[in-house]
Amino acid sequence: MLMHVINVGHDVFAANDKLAEKNRKSLDKHGVLAVNIMGAIGSGKTTLIEEAIKALKDKYRIAVIAGDVIAEMDASRFRKLEVPTVPANTGKECHLDAKIVEKALKEIDLKNTDLLIIENVGNLICPVDFKLGEHLRIVAVSVTEGDDIILKHPMIFKTAELAIINKIDLAAAVDVDPEKMVSDIQALNPEVPILLTSKHSRESLDLWVATLEAGLESR
Amino acid sequence: MHEYSIACEIYEQVIATARAHGASEVRAVTLQMGRLTHTNPEQLKFCFDVLAEGSIAKGAEFLVEMIPPNVECECGYRGTVDTPGKPAGKSEEDRGEGGGKSGSENGNETGLHQSELLEYVAALNCPACGRAARITGGQELIIKTIDIETEAETEAETDNKF
Repeated sequence: MLMHVINVGHDVFAANDKLAEKNRKSLDKHGVLAVNIMGAIGSGKTTLIEEAIKALKDKYRIAVIAGDVIAEMDASRFRKLEVPTVPANTGKECHLDAKIVEKALKEIDLKNTDLLIIENVGNLICPVDFKLGEHLRIVAVSVTEGDDIILKHPMIFKTAELAIINKIDLAAAVDVDPEKMVSDIQALNPEVPILLTSKHSRESLDLWVATLEAGLESR
Repeated sequence: MHEYSIACEIYEQVIATARAHGASEVRAVTLQMGRLTHTNPEQLKFCFDVLAEGSIAKGAEFLVEMIPPNVECECGYRGTVDTPGKPAGKSEEDRGEGGGKSGSENGNETGLHQSELLEYVAALNCPACGRAARITGGQELIIKTIDIETEAETEAETDNKF
C-alpha cells in the first residue's frame, strides 16, 4: 500500500459558472436580454412578471422559464398571457442552476426572443451561489416578509443588480417601514437601483416595466 | 438545501480522480470553501458520507478549509477581510485558520458559517475605508486534494508512464 496526495483543484461552483457563460453566449448570439428574478415564496415574483409581460408583449417577443420545485402553477399563469413558457422543475432543488437553464433554453426559440424572464425558485439563499447566464440579477422582496428580511439575507442583496421592494401598499398593515428596507439594501449595495412596487399602483408597475424596457433598448 | 447535489458532484469528481490514479482507497478529501457560499460544511459532509458508502471513498476523512472573503474597494484596497469591521491581518483569532487544519479543529469555522454568516456578510465592508466593497472572492468551493492509497504494483505502473 502506498499513500499519495493528489491535487485536484476542481471548483464546483466554477463548473456552474462556466456553463452559465455558455448560456450567456447563446443568449448574446441571438440578442436576447435575460433577467433572473429571485425572491422568497410569496414576494410577488410571478405577479411582477405577469405585469411586465402584459405591458411589453406587443412590443417585444418574450419567453419565460418558470422555475419551481414541482408544480406548474406559475407556468400556466404565464401561458395564459400567450408567451412561450418552459417550466423548469428542479425536483429536489431549492434553486435553478446553469444546467437546468441550459436544458430549458433548448426549448426556447431564441432567434425569435427579445426578453427571457427566468423566475427562480422561491428562496433568498440558495440561488445566490448559482449564476445562470443572465444579464440582470433581480431580487424581489415584499414588505410582508418583515423589515429585517434584508439583513437576514445579505448576500442576495449584495450581489443583486436590481432590487424591488414589493407590496408597499401593505407596509402600514404589517408595521413595516419601507424606507428602512431601502437603507438596508443601500448599506449592502450602494449602487443597486431600488424600485418600490405594488400591484395596486399602476405608476410603480410602470417604473418596473420601464426598467426592463431600458435594458431591452440598450441591448 | 442544495448540499446533496453539490456532494454528488464532489463524490463523482473524487471517485473519477481516484480511479485515474489507480487508487484502492480514498483516505481523505480536502475542500476549500469560501465563507460567503451558502453551503453548510456539516451537511455536505453528511451527504458525502452517505454517497461514499460502499465505494472506495467509504469512511474517508472529509476536511473543509474556509477561505476568507476577498474584496476590491474604490479606495484602492484589494485583499481579504479576515474579520468584518476590523482591518485585515489584525485579528488574532482569525490568524492561522484555514490552511491544513483538520475537520475537528475547524469546529469554530463551521459554527461561524451557520450562525454568524448573516452578520458577517452584512458587516462586510472595506477594511481600509469602511465602505461597501465589491466581493471578488470567498464564494469558491474547491476540491483541493484527495489522499489515496494504491497497491504497490499499480504505483509501479504509474511510475513507468512518466
